[in-house]
Amino acid sequence: MTPPLDLSRRQFLTAASVAAGTALLAGCAPGAVPGSGTQTLQFWHLLSGGDGVTMSQLLDDVNGAQSAFRIRPTVLAWGTPYYTKLAMAGAGGRAPDVAIMHATRTVGWAPGGLLDRWDVDKLASLGIDSSTFPKPIWEKGFVGEGMYSIALDAHPFVMMFNTDICDAAGVLDSDGKLQETSSPEEFLDQLREVGGQAEGHALSYGYLGDGAQMWRLFYTFYSQHGGAIELPPGGPAVIDKDVAVESLSLMRTLLDGEIALAQADYGSAVAEFATGKSGMLFTGVWELRTMQAASLPFDATMIPTLFGTPAVYADSHSFVLPHQTNADPVRRDLTYQFVADMLKGSFGWAEAGHIPAFLPVTESPDYDDLIPQAHYAEAAQHVVYDPTAWFTGSGSNFQSEFGAAVQGVLLSGDDPAAAIDRFEARVNTLLRQPNPADPEGTFGS
Amino acid sequence: MTTATDSTRTIVTGSKTGTPPRRAGARNREQLISWAFLAPFLVAFVLFLAWPIVHGIILSFTDQSLTGAGGAFVGFANYVEALGDPKMWQSMGNTVWFTLLSTVPLVVIALVMAALVDRGIPGQWLWRLSFFMPFLLASTVISQIWVWIFNPQVGAANNILEFFGLEPLAWLQNPDTNMLSIVIATVWWTVGFNFLLYLAAMQNIPPQQYEAASLDGAGAWRQFWSITLPQLGPATVLILILQILASLKLFDQAYQMLGGVASDTTRSIVQYIYEAGFVSYRFGYSAAISYVFFALIVILGVVQALITRRRKEQF
Repeated sequence: MTPPLDLSRRQFLTAASVAAGTALLAGCAPGAVPGSGTQTLQFWHLLSGGDGVTMSQLLDDVNGAQSAFRIRPTVLAWGTPYYTKLAMAGAGGRAPDVAIMHATRTVGWAPGGLLDRWDVDKLASLGIDSSTFPKPIWEKGFVGEGMYSIALDAHPFVMMFNTDICDAAGVLDSDGKLQETSSPEEFLDQLREVGGQAEGHALSYGYLGDGAQMWRLFYTFYSQHGGAIELPPGGPAVIDKDVAVESLSLMRTLLDGEIALAQADYGSAVAEFATGKSGMLFTGVWELRTMQAASLPFDATMIPTLFGTPAVYADSHSFVLPHQTNADPVRRDLTYQFVADMLKGSFGWAEAGHIPAFLPVTESPDYDDLIPQAHYAEAAQHVVYDPTAWFTGSGSNFQSEFGAAVQGVLLSGDDPAAAIDRFEARVNTLLRQPNPADPEGTFGS
Repeated sequence: MTTATDSTRTIVTGSKTGTPPRRAGARNREQLISWAFLAPFLVAFVLFLAWPIVHGIILSFTDQSLTGAGGAFVGFANYVEALGDPKMWQSMGNTVWFTLLSTVPLVVIALVMAALVDRGIPGQWLWRLSFFMPFLLASTVISQIWVWIFNPQVGAANNILEFFGLEPLAWLQNPDTNMLSIVIATVWWTVGFNFLLYLAAMQNIPPQQYEAASLDGAGAWRQFWSITLPQLGPATVLILILQILASLKLFDQAYQMLGGVASDTTRSIVQYIYEAGFVSYRFGYSAAISYVFFALIVILGVVQALITRRRKEQF
């Protein structure tokens, strides 16, 4: 028989506190799962909604396929909150083992020591090298000489189209693809044909109050002229003003109230297309699931090349190693393994609409059967990222600065040239400031 | 009152006339106890107010980054940059503009609402509840509600405009109307608090005054102008001060209603401080702007104190 516990109240409370404290500390401790050799790797990401569900499935697959590590994901709200928290974790040196970042943001972070470098040789030994990635996507992983991010995907801005409406308008080829247009005039003619068959507008494009949306389309058109905006440290910005004005003017032409609604925000544009009222939609590939869920007869394609050079705005969800002061070599090795597993298993990620960066996935026969993803897969070869500077990239202020400068052109018909001047002035102000993550400019020295 | 003065005098006299002084040990003990009672507050005060203020001032003289980089002493560089930063002045101007636009309706509407309820219209509890209820909602909730209302395609605001044959507006997205939209949402959200303060003040006015006035033949309007309004003076001063301070802190509803997107016409100074620190990672600069803003509030406070002092002297 077990003797009854003879504890005073004070002894009981002490014992309980010690037990609770121990449990709490054990819970906080990263590392091995008790009783097994399995390491728990902390993984932060910013993918919610449909993307979040797909990511969970991928993680379950990776976790289930081996017993060396288990991934514990932490999902944070995308945008500034995510990047603030990740930056602070890196600054404290006790960051998660691995995290997702937009490739465009690494330029601002690597110089401040917030990210650790990827070992290219170690990646190569796992079958990850430049030959397994589209060139622009692989190169985007580098800041200076070092590789700081490795892309899971490219998520370009694309054009979705309602196949029923476009068919009725007679703008489809015999194989059901949208007839090619190679100039603004041809594209506008095509849109007018489509508009005749659509209950709402020919094109849905939401931009109100959304600098990112304005920037995505603008920079697509701008880059199709064959050049990029350059933002050298210290300034001034190199912007081809004629090209910028032409690109912005085309956007204004599209928003004439006939082709596309003059005042639409992102949500209402998506809704207009998803309810079958419009013929086309400019959007990111991440809306693919929305349209599939709407049971819409639709297809997707690259935004047509209207100015000579195929180019499309995009960003990449990329794996980074947030800085850890005392990185454990065993866990680091497992992190490399995890990333390689994720890339190789990224077919599931394609189902969410994104174009996997890992070529063996997009070049597989299975991927060809994935419609409409396969119809815009070539966009990965023509992706254009934000101009490189510490303040640019997804979720940064740069894109909203652009929106603030040009929205008046699209909404109220303001002068495009004056808007580009405003944008240039803002960018030059930012360029004169040092990278706050590296104010003394010691990176690379 | 007299008794208290007398007893104080007695004690003082007593000690002078040789009442034995309390032992030093007992006095120390008393002091210790009082410090012990004060300690929790002092700790909180130093940790959460005094030290952050001092630390903020120190930060404002450095190029400290949120990322842990920097931290070198840069003298007054941040302040010089802030004073020459058009965006800071624009944000400051937006904040003052919002304060002007919102304070007047928030005081006047609250007064009208309180007067209506105070005059005894039926179902008082229902009015009180419905006028005050929005104030209890979180800023995230009211932002969501008003984003729906202001939606250019399906929102109620444009439905109303169309009903009257007016052109629909892109309320929140158009720089000409977005500040007005935020003011409307804010008035709806917070007017209940001022209403409650006014109602409390009105209910403190002795009913005999109204009785006397009506015996003298004063109608409802005359009573309102000659009895209610003058006696609401102190309440109005309090409401104005609280309202100006609250409006100067504009951030959450504007930030949320515009989806966190910076707009030149709605970016408040608090949002600019936030952006400098948490979006651009410039903690030092962010601290400097917050002290410039602090200086503005101090100036307003001094002006307000001077005005109220003059008012008191007049009375």
